Amino acid sequence: MDDPQTSALLRELVLRLLPAGSPFSPDAALRYARRLLSSRLLSPSSLPADETSLSDSIKRQLALSGRTSAALAFSDLLHKLSMLSGPGSLRHRPALLLLLKSLSDHPASCVLPSLPLPASKKTAVQSTAGGVGGVLMLSKDPDNIREIALREYSDLAIEDAEIDEQTLVRDVLYAAQGIDGRFVRFDPRSDGYDLPETMRVPRSMRTMVRRLCELGWLFKKVRGFVSENMGQLAAAEVGTVAQAFCSALQDELSDYYKLLAVLESQALNPIPSTGSSSGDLRNYLSLRRLAVWLAEPMVRMRLMAVLVDGCKDLRGGAMAGAIHGHAQHGDPLVQEFMGRLLRRVCSPLFEMVRSWVLEGELEDLFSEFFILSQPVKAESLWREGYRIQTSMLPSFISQTLAQRILRTGKSINFLRVCCEDNGWADAAAEAAAHVGTTTRRGGLGYGETDALEALVVEAAKRIDRHLMDVIHKRYRFKDHCLAIKRYLLLGQGDFVQYLMDIVGPELSGPANTISSFQLAGLLETAIRASNAQYDDRDILDRLKVKMMEHGDGDRGWDVFSLEYDAMVPLDTVFTASVMKKYLRIFNYLWKLKRVEHALIRVWKTMKPNCIASCIFAKEGMGVKVQFVSVLRRCQVLWNEMNHFVTNFQYYIMFEVLEVSWARFSEEMDVTKDMDGLLAAHEKYLSSIMEKSLLGEKSQGIVRTLFALFDLILRFRSHAEMWFERIYELQIRGRGKSRSKAKDEFSKTNSWLEGGRKAMMQLAGEFIQKMGEDLDKIAAEYTSSLAVFISQLPMQQHVDLKFLLFRLDFTEYYSQLYPTK
Amino acid sequence: MEAEAARNAKETLELAFQISNILETGLDRHTLSLLIALLDRGVNPEALAALVRELSPPRQSSCAPIPPVTAPRQP
Repeated sequence: MDDPQTSALLRELVLRLLPAGSPFSPDAALRYARRLLSSRLLSPSSLPADETSLSDSIKRQLALSGRTSAALAFSDLLHKLSMLSGPGSLRHRPALLLLLKSLSDHPASCVLPSLPLPASKKTAVQSTAGGVGGVLMLSKDPDNIREIALREYSDLAIEDAEIDEQTLVRDVLYAAQGIDGRFVRFDPRSDGYDLPETMRVPRSMRTMVRRLCELGWLFKKVRGFVSENMGQLAAAEVGTVAQAFCSALQDELSDYYKLLAVLESQALNPIPSTGSSSGDLRNYLSLRRLAVWLAEPMVRMRLMAVLVDGCKDLRGGAMAGAIHGHAQHGDPLVQEFMGRLLRRVCSPLFEMVRSWVLEGELEDLFSEFFILSQPVKAESLWREGYRIQTSMLPSFISQTLAQRILRTGKSINFLRVCCEDNGWADAAAEAAAHVGTTTRRGGLGYGETDALEALVVEAAKRIDRHLMDVIHKRYRFKDHCLAIKRYLLLGQGDFVQYLMDIVGPELSGPANTISSFQLAGLLETAIRASNAQYDDRDILDRLKVKMMEHGDGDRGWDVFSLEYDAMVPLDTVFTASVMKKYLRIFNYLWKLKRVEHALIRVWKTMKPNCIASCIFAKEGMGVKVQFVSVLRRCQVLWNEMNHFVTNFQYYIMFEVLEVSWARFSEEMDVTKDMDGLLAAHEKYLSSIMEKSLLGEKSQGIVRTLFALFDLILRFRSHAEMWFERIYELQIRGRGKSRSKAKDEFSKTNSWLEGGRKAMMQLAGEFIQKMGEDLDKIAAEYTSSLAVFISQLPMQQHVDLKFLLFRLDFTEYYSQLYPTK
Repeated sequence: MEAEAARNAKETLELAFQISNILETGLDRHTLSLLIALLDRGVNPEALAALVRELSPPRQSSCAPIPPVTAPRQP
């Protein structure tokens, strides 16, 4: 400083710099300059020796302000400058660079408008302008101290602002790919990306960074789901729907990657500083621009994250249903996105439906389909083989459609497994052709529910028709039903009559002595003897005798029954439980028939013209009168019983069996699918059961009915006994009278007289006994019948009321037992 | 030798002036030559920069480049 040459130079500089009309006097300015140069703040020790870092910093600054060409020119000039050497060249190149840089930094400081640099400068100028210059004054001036502090602060702020927006943009782009950036890092504590607390960044910027980094969080979640599922792929735990979902997500993510790549390339363009009118219109990326760019991907990513969350524990149809639930959205963007996603997700599901409906194949390795198959025997394939799994049924397939889908595939499988028929393939192809869908894969997609429905309906129509054809024509369903009705429901009268005649004596023995082979032979005989012999051999072969489980005291009647072997595939209709019902009905009807048969047999013996009315003519009138009255009572009781049985049987045969059959055969002709057929048959059977008092509700009345039957059978056995005795007496009486007539002069006349008297007495006693028994049975019968008739109106079924009218046609019973 | 030194000095000054223009410091050639001379004598560059900032007339726009104050003069 003391160097005179330096002083001269300084003086010249000051004079040169001072503008004309400045308030400074040159001397004051020179003094100020000297003081400034020797001030402690700007000690020479702070001189940076490193030229490279200095030039780099300048270049960066130039590049940042969007003047890359200037930066290039600068480095070129610098190179030339360093080439110059020798006398006259620059001795302190770094010093010059530093000087120029500090001078050019000055305008750049307007990046931080919050720093009141211009103001401080002004105060400094004013303070010196006040003419109170001097070293001491300056260092003590509070304004100046503040200025220095501010300048230090501004330097610090500039240093902080090294995290400029561009770095942040790049960091955000990294975060959006789930990678930690330089500053923006994933914070496991708050579960999100954030800038470190210690970093001083404007609040608005921090908020925006946080908002943008939500994308990174969402992305991480989605990618986690995809990679997790893809990882399990080898272990074959991921269903096809989940695979499709993952691949769709993967595609969305790769679109997203593309966008990020574009954004990243744009992020390399420097952000022009505010107000620099360099006119550079190249694309650059600020946080705000980034926010605009990422708004749409954000919506999509958020949606994906929601789906990922919703589908975490779901699989198959349930997953598709859950995704479909999110697709019901008003936003066209969301709708379009979800549609795209769902088309991919549902394609395996639709493929399953297609192959199920057209080929009957259940390609469901991961149990994702809403139809579930169970390994069952052929006979229960239709009823239990397949069922709908409601949890897997996506909501865009309605319940009815699902049922139809189920039935169609089931029909195909039924045809294939039970009927060994291949005609369904043509039907399926025809249906597919009709709808216009190819039978190839991938013909259907989400959103084409109508097409799916059309396909299903067509396929169902054709395949059902084919199935019905097969059932009716090839397996003659109706013939078998008719055969069952004729033999098991005793519709073939002559056959039943013969069978009853032949088998009757056999069945009267105890159950354990009866051989079913012998009964089978008798059955064959009955068939030969009746019109049944003209029936189809195939049908007759299926008719078999069945002996039920029997206890100790059972008679043959209790255990005998007929059985019809329906064979595959008709055993789908005539299942074991259905056959059990038929068996019950058969036993019931058989009992009824037996009672009727027994009554008629008794009539043969007790017909009035069979009993010589004159047997006791010559002998005591008292006995005769007694006999005739007992006989008459017996006949009246028989008549009453016969009336009941006949009407009851008439009711069963004509009002129950025939009517039900007529309805059933009507429905059978109309119905178009197997389920309908099954339902019709079910209805037929249950209507028979109910109307013939075999239902749940009529257990009480049927007990009374059986009691009545038992009474009738008891009456029959008693009557048989009585008339045996009567015939015996008759024969003896006739023999006596004949011998008496022939042998008039016999010496043993008196003995005969005595014997005759004894016989008459015997007959009297017998008739007395018979009358008592008869009265007892009649009384029991009457009371049972009264119970039966009083119970009858309480039955639910309307047809049973007609039975009451029929039984009580003349209102005889209602007068006899007036309703209580 | 003397001529070469002068040529070198002139070239250096020219290059420095171009750099100065790129950096938009607003210095003219003469001022720059004075500054270089002072720097060669070991004056603290930052202090010099501060001095230039303080003394030069306030700019119209803080960010716009400033035309040279006076017409360049040959040293």
